[in-house]
Amino acid sequence: MTRKATISAREFESEAISQLSALLGVASRLTRNNADAQDLVQDTLLKAMRARDQFEAGTNMRAWLLRILTNTFINRYRRGGLERSVLDGPDADPLADGWISASTMESMRDPESQALRPMLEQEIKRALDELPEEFRLAVVLSDVEELSYKEIADIMGCPIGTVMSRLHRGRRLLKGRLYEHARALGIVGPEALVGDISEKQEPVVDLASYREKRVARS
Amino acid sequence: MTSSCRQIVPLLEAFGDEELAPDMLLEVEQHLVDCTTCTERVRLNHALHLSVRSAVRNSAPVMPAFEERIAAALRAEAAREEVVDGVVEREAQHHHMLSWRSVVPVAAAAAATLVWAASTSNQQALARDKSPYTQAENADQLLEELVDHHVNAGGPQVTKPELLSQLEPQVGVPLSLPSLRDYGARWEGGSVVPVSNQHAASLRYMMGGHHVTLYVYNSSRVPIETRLKQRVVRNEEVYVGSRRGVSIAATEHRGVGYAIATDLNDDESAELVAAVY
Repeated sequence: MTRKATISAREFESEAISQLSALLGVASRLTRNNADAQDLVQDTLLKAMRARDQFEAGTNMRAWLLRILTNTFINRYRRGGLERSVLDGPDADPLADGWISASTMESMRDPESQALRPMLEQEIKRALDELPEEFRLAVVLSDVEELSYKEIADIMGCPIGTVMSRLHRGRRLLKGRLYEHARALGIVGPEALVGDISEKQEPVVDLASYREKRVARS
Repeated sequence: MTSSCRQIVPLLEAFGDEELAPDMLLEVEQHLVDCTTCTERVRLNHALHLSVRSAVRNSAPVMPAFEERIAAALRAEAAREEVVDGVVEREAQHHHMLSWRSVVPVAAAAAATLVWAASTSNQQALARDKSPYTQAENADQLLEELVDHHVNAGGPQVTKPELLSQLEPQVGVPLSLPSLRDYGARWEGGSVVPVSNQHAASLRYMMGGHHVTLYVYNSSRVPIETRLKQRVVRNEEVYVGSRRGVSIAATEHRGVGYAIATDLNDDESAELVAAVY
């Protein structure tokens, strides 16, 4: 059970400063501009301070601040709401999970760091910035802030299934972009497709319904 | 892709995000033992995850000046809260006394009931009036202080535009120098001045024999426009008024307030403030 208890201004300042890195990271990817990102973080923290009696003790302060940051961004910096233009269109899909080989995927990784190869890593920020905002926000909140699907859904004001769909489509666009970059750099060769492109995988948007289908099949 | 992979691939992202239910987790783990392609998919997802995190965190490091700016802004907000709370508390005591005097002649039992009712009513009225009351008070105070600082300006703390950023931690908003050269204004220097329990940057210009002070401050703390008249200049919303023979024109952009204090007329000060960002 949660409870509302106003924290003091001093406690809030201390907590807010400890979350600056997370807030600035998300803000910089939303605004794609450092000066705007700093303004967005400051606006967010002043709003949060004035509304700190609304914070429920025992819940995730970072997630609460990120929700205010996202709303502030939408209201102040993008009065028209998040971009939706790409959501109904086809994804750019030079790479779909089902049809590139294990060796190609392995070539894109750096075995020592377990991350992508450094040359691809440099491309990531650019690729992220080119994602539609809803995909970019979902990817950053999940991969950078490591928030749960539920927390991301609360922040973005959408169902968990929508979060999963945005994550899937955002990551697929990122992988596609990085795959093309890897090909251009000669890190991977022309791909011999495995399987049929038409068999592209659809993301799981509802784990509960998947479980029901699986039970029905068995 | 095998039929088994077809069932598992849609689960791999949730698997990597640690969002799978235990029964499905077991199913995926069993599949990964035998499937090198799906294992590689998981590794690529993980690599992407690590690289995105690294790219985002490295792209926006928190610099000490920014941390100081945020700390200063939060402390200024805390100070404003204390002032507001003090004003409201004094008002509450004032209203409470009036209520008590009005019920003295009433019999003791009834009086107790009436005091309780009046007190509750006054507290509710105060809660309703709290925001506009304090905003108006603060706006009046701020206008007076802006005029004082304009009339009694001291020597500037900085006279080079590149040093203005040193004032940001105290002011709590980003500072850049509007040139105003198109209006024949010459910048003389900048300082930080205390106004209404916060700090504003005071940028002094000389313009054809007239002193012009441009104040830059956090507009969310004190809504100065509540005591000024609205007008539109070149599609910009500005607020204009006069105090003690000094014209004040204010506007706001992205949370930053700009106010001009000058002995020019209201039209000229409105024109100037509309050109500052």
